[in-house]
Amino acid sequence: MNELLEQFLIESRELVAQAAKDLATLARDPVDGAAIDSAFRAIHTLKGSFAIFALSPAERLLHAAEDVLEQARKGAALLRPATLDTLTACLDQTDRWIDAMERDGALPSDADERASAVLALLRGHVADQLPKADTSEPASQAADWLTALVAREAHQIDQSIADLIAFRYRPDADCFFRGEDPLSVVEAIPDLVALAILPAEGSWPRTAELDPFACLSLIEGLSAADEADLRAAFRLQPDQVEFAALPRTSRKTDREKITADGTLLRVESARIDALADGLRDLVIAINSLAPLANDMGRFDRALATRLRSAQVSIERAATSLHGHLAQIRLVPLEGTLRRLPRAAREIADALGKSVAFTMEGETIEADKQIAEGLFEPLLHLLRNAIDHGIEMPAARQAAGKPPQGRLRLTLARDGDAITATLSDDGTGIDPARIHHMAVERGLLDEDAVLSDDESALRLIFEPGFSTAAAITDLSGRGVGMDAVQAAVTRLHGTITVESKVGSGTSFHMRFPAHALTTQLLVVEIDGDRFGIPFGQVRETLRIDTSAIKPVGLGQVCVLRGSAVPVVDLAGLLGLPSMTAPTSRLVVTHIEGSPVALRVGNISHRLDTVIRPHGGVLGQAHGMLGSAIMGDGSVLLVLDVQELLA
Amino acid sequence: MSVRVEGGVIYLAGRCPVEDAEDLLRALEQDAQATVDITGLQRLHMALVQVLLAVRPAIQGQAAAGPLSREIFLRLISDNDRTPKNP
Repeated sequence: MNELLEQFLIESRELVAQAAKDLATLARDPVDGAAIDSAFRAIHTLKGSFAIFALSPAERLLHAAEDVLEQARKGAALLRPATLDTLTACLDQTDRWIDAMERDGALPSDADERASAVLALLRGHVADQLPKADTSEPASQAADWLTALVAREAHQIDQSIADLIAFRYRPDADCFFRGEDPLSVVEAIPDLVALAILPAEGSWPRTAELDPFACLSLIEGLSAADEADLRAAFRLQPDQVEFAALPRTSRKTDREKITADGTLLRVESARIDALADGLRDLVIAINSLAPLANDMGRFDRALATRLRSAQVSIERAATSLHGHLAQIRLVPLEGTLRRLPRAAREIADALGKSVAFTMEGETIEADKQIAEGLFEPLLHLLRNAIDHGIEMPAARQAAGKPPQGRLRLTLARDGDAITATLSDDGTGIDPARIHHMAVERGLLDEDAVLSDDESALRLIFEPGFSTAAAITDLSGRGVGMDAVQAAVTRLHGTITVESKVGSGTSFHMRFPAHALTTQLLVVEIDGDRFGIPFGQVRETLRIDTSAIKPVGLGQVCVLRGSAVPVVDLAGLLGLPSMTAPTSRLVVTHIEGSPVALRVGNISHRLDTVIRPHGGVLGQAHGMLGSAIMGDGSVLLVLDVQELLA
Repeated sequence: MSVRVEGGVIYLAGRCPVEDAEDLLRALEQDAQATVDITGLQRLHMALVQVLLAVRPAIQGQAAAGPLSREIFLRLISDNDRTPKNP
């Protein structure tokens, strides 16, 4: 993906999220000046980002949204709830376009129509307050500055062998107060060929009349960069700058980038992973120093002591590096969760329901892997809550509730864990009905007695359980709450449900906040070692090989009075089969029944980070990933459940 | 403090943020004949450039190399911009 587009995707999504947050604030307090300003700035910058790619439908739409906020900012118009809804629709549309840019690198063919449709809505709300869409200067005025510039910079223009673009940048008079420095904007212009700082009003004021904190300047210049790169330099000031091309026929010069100092660095996550891998290798290398010092001690105690003290300092440095790295991997949850509000609106719209979704605590941080893994189960719960929990508006009114359903996601940090609670004020889950359906679906014996309502509610997480009376477009895709349970388990999390018939349901989830380490049981087959996640192991035992009896195509052994199928791990992995008088078995449960896996030897336990495989290996059946062992060798980690399924 | 006055010379040093514009303007108001020394200057905010362009003191020294110092100070020092170009 092109770097500019990549940056666009990151920045524009952040801006959409910021504006959405501000609109949510304004929904509670329509005259919150800070929120209006912030939303205005976000939308304004967003417009500039789209302008870089010359995506005019988006620019048009955002321009209109910006106008509405500008009116509110000046106090000329009040932001009514309907207007805020339409502004939110603008943002949702923009967000969909950003998705399209990521997918196809372009806006969909219907972008113009969609922009017009939302624009019509927007104009409907503030018909008399919207200025005309075309705010560009008259052509003659534009030509004037260009003529003056060409005359002034004639020498530079003659010297240049590249196509040049002239720019005229008129910073807002109050831009210093917003923390802007037009000079640093100019500094970031690629391939600057000429620059002039001119008095915006034609002449500089006299010393006594000079306001040191008002920007009185106009900056004009020439750049040999591409127009897109030049526009990118002004992406935060799209409406303060004009461009004009001065084409040359000659070839382009190699470009040398001048970049502004940045305090924030965006780094590909793969690089952080590589750093973590490197650090693990370092720790492994450090571990080899201790035996070396011991060996050395036999010949020279003093030298061994020096080596040990060097080892301690290296270890200390590595530990501190580890801590810093863990910090880098911590990301705010809002990055991945910011799509939930839009998803909630779209799901509700599709079902003809009205839902107010609020999110709290989304700024808390968790390991990248956790933050990314949270989205899927939460989206699924959200869908279920809107689809099955929240009633249709009429039904809600009949039940004495407000027509708009309420959904709240609360995230919090609890020691080393993060908790997420999703609550709705919908119809609730009836334990008796769940019990009945579980029996109907063969998940429960008819006469089974459940200890309490909670156990009944837990049945919804069983595979194959779906409570929807009608299979809907949204949730009825054959995956149910068991998919949520699986996703939560993958993140080493837990989920519980609490519900009150008629007044709503809450799902409580708990996840570790830091990098996931997994306890592995290391087993050996003829010298090859494999890891099995401890969670998949019920017990391990040793039996005489003669006690394993062939039955039909398979083999069984008797375990506490019942026959348990035995499967050779060597056979599953395509390795030569083992022959030994005694067998080591690892017992696991597949769909509730025990299955014994015959392995060569059971080596030891290991607490480590499993790295999922990418590429071809990622598709390999029955593999969770790999882990690096203390001696530096790579351990393949098996997914026994999948291998035996 | 990145604006320092000493013996009729106003020294701009290091990174001059927007707040320094007022100090620079005040120093130039107090001594209209002051020379501004930019030898130790690393960066300056647009607000200070404006003050220099409007008041036009004599400039001495050489600012850190770079396109901006070339574009801004060369003109200031060689006094090319005395007459406004955009009347």
